[in-house]
Amino acid sequence: MLVIERDVRLFFQYKFLIIMRAIWFVSQIAFFGLIASQMINVSAVADYFRYYVGGLSVMTLYSAAIFIGFDIYEEAEHGVFEYLLSLPVSRRQLVLGRSIGGGLRSFIYVGPLIAISLFVIGSLNPIAFLISLFALFLFSFGVAGMSITLAVMIKSSDRFDILMGVLDALIVRLSTAMYPLAIVQVANPAYGGAASFNPVSFASDLFRWGTGLDKIITIDNPLLPLLGIVAFFGFFTLFGVVIYGKRIEGGAWR
Amino acid sequence: MMKGILRIVELDFRNFFRYKWWLVGLISMNLADLFIMAVVYNHMLAKAVTEKITSYFDFFAPGLAVTGLFASAFMIGREVNMERRREIHHYMLSIPMSRYELAFGRVISGGLRGLVYMTPLLLTCFIFVGFPTLPQLLLIIFTLFLLAMGISGLSITIAVSTSSFEKFVTARGLVYYTLFFCSSVFYPLYLIQNLGKSGQFPSILVTFAEVNPLSNASDMIRSFLMPSTMTFSPYWLVSVAIFTIIFALTAAFAYIKILAR
Repeated sequence: MLVIERDVRLFFQYKFLIIMRAIWFVSQIAFFGLIASQMINVSAVADYFRYYVGGLSVMTLYSAAIFIGFDIYEEAEHGVFEYLLSLPVSRRQLVLGRSIGGGLRSFIYVGPLIAISLFVIGSLNPIAFLISLFALFLFSFGVAGMSITLAVMIKSSDRFDILMGVLDALIVRLSTAMYPLAIVQVANPAYGGAASFNPVSFASDLFRWGTGLDKIITIDNPLLPLLGIVAFFGFFTLFGVVIYGKRIEGGAWR
Repeated sequence: MMKGILRIVELDFRNFFRYKWWLVGLISMNLADLFIMAVVYNHMLAKAVTEKITSYFDFFAPGLAVTGLFASAFMIGREVNMERRREIHHYMLSIPMSRYELAFGRVISGGLRGLVYMTPLLLTCFIFVGFPTLPQLLLIIFTLFLLAMGISGLSITIAVSTSSFEKFVTARGLVYYTLFFCSSVFYPLYLIQNLGKSGQFPSILVTFAEVNPLSNASDMIRSFLMPSTMTFSPYWLVSVAIFTIIFALTAAFAYIKILAR
């Protein structure tokens, strides 16, 4: 709990990041979402504005959860790692705490933005939404685990920075966050294949399903994306814990 | 005077290439926007929009080059803000050159850096959309250089007017996203005007989108590469020139004022 609390507090010290993301989120809704929806064919997406706002929440959650990796570099650079290792906390608690803290803080941050999204979308199916919220929780923990795994595997912060930039560019654009899977598949089958197995697609589809708004729902059965998110969460949390645990021993992270 | 400005340009270029990883990340994001997002959007366009712009990919490619120019020219502000906070400008004052050389050197180098970064994006645009004639190419480069200097000026103006990094980043975010999204970079201008007419978009923002230099520069490139979709208007050039004169001069004088403190 102490590790989680520390990570959440650390995140809210990055006021500029929080403000920037909030400005980005609002301008995406007020400008891009509103104007771009005017050029979209209604037979492709019946209500693109609401469709886009749903995907935007997941994109924001992803970019907030990824930030834990940058904290790990900061700590390594400033010698905080040694301090963390000296605390009366077991290695497993430390590693799990970081993964959960990374996911939780991004969820706390994105919570108000999700509320704005729901207000804009204007609909909610309470039970479906609770299931999709649970999936978003797992998704943010999974992304935090992925960020931690990559951060401890790549020793150069520059390389991590570029990899995260490229990954962000690809994982968001090759997903259903901005467009439905059927359209992506028509545009390019390779893109469609990537979007079909993308956790951002699973989270976006589930979030829209949770709103209960027929015009933006693209899935009939939520079980498959839910299983996809559980698998993503399980893999990166367990893998991240093992890798992180191994790296912090004997100064291998230096 | 030129010698001093050239030395500042050289210094700023060296700093620019220190961000090589950042630049690679930015280019890959830009290319992902073009080769993934724009390709998929092509298949979602309403018929009425397709009739006007033909293809979203072709429409977006010039806009992307302009956004790349904007992002890289804006970087100079971050450096100036950092120098201000760490009081490095005291060292700058000890360099044997006039304050005007120093100030205009920063504005020009910011513009040149934007132009250098944008070149591969503009080339990609030419390869996929079409090549302009030589006079058109020269006019494009001239306009984009003017625009880059204006952006660099805007960025320096914000940098010297904000005392903390947080304030600078917040102001930058506001300017960045308003200029990006309230322009014809991502969508045709007439869509914004239609929203204004139907009362869904404030008229002040419609006017802003019309005079936005990013809109004007993107539309100018489109008018040369896709003449069937847009006709060149000299107003675009005048609009970019006015933007540049205002912000290059404001930045230079604000920078000199900060140096003199």
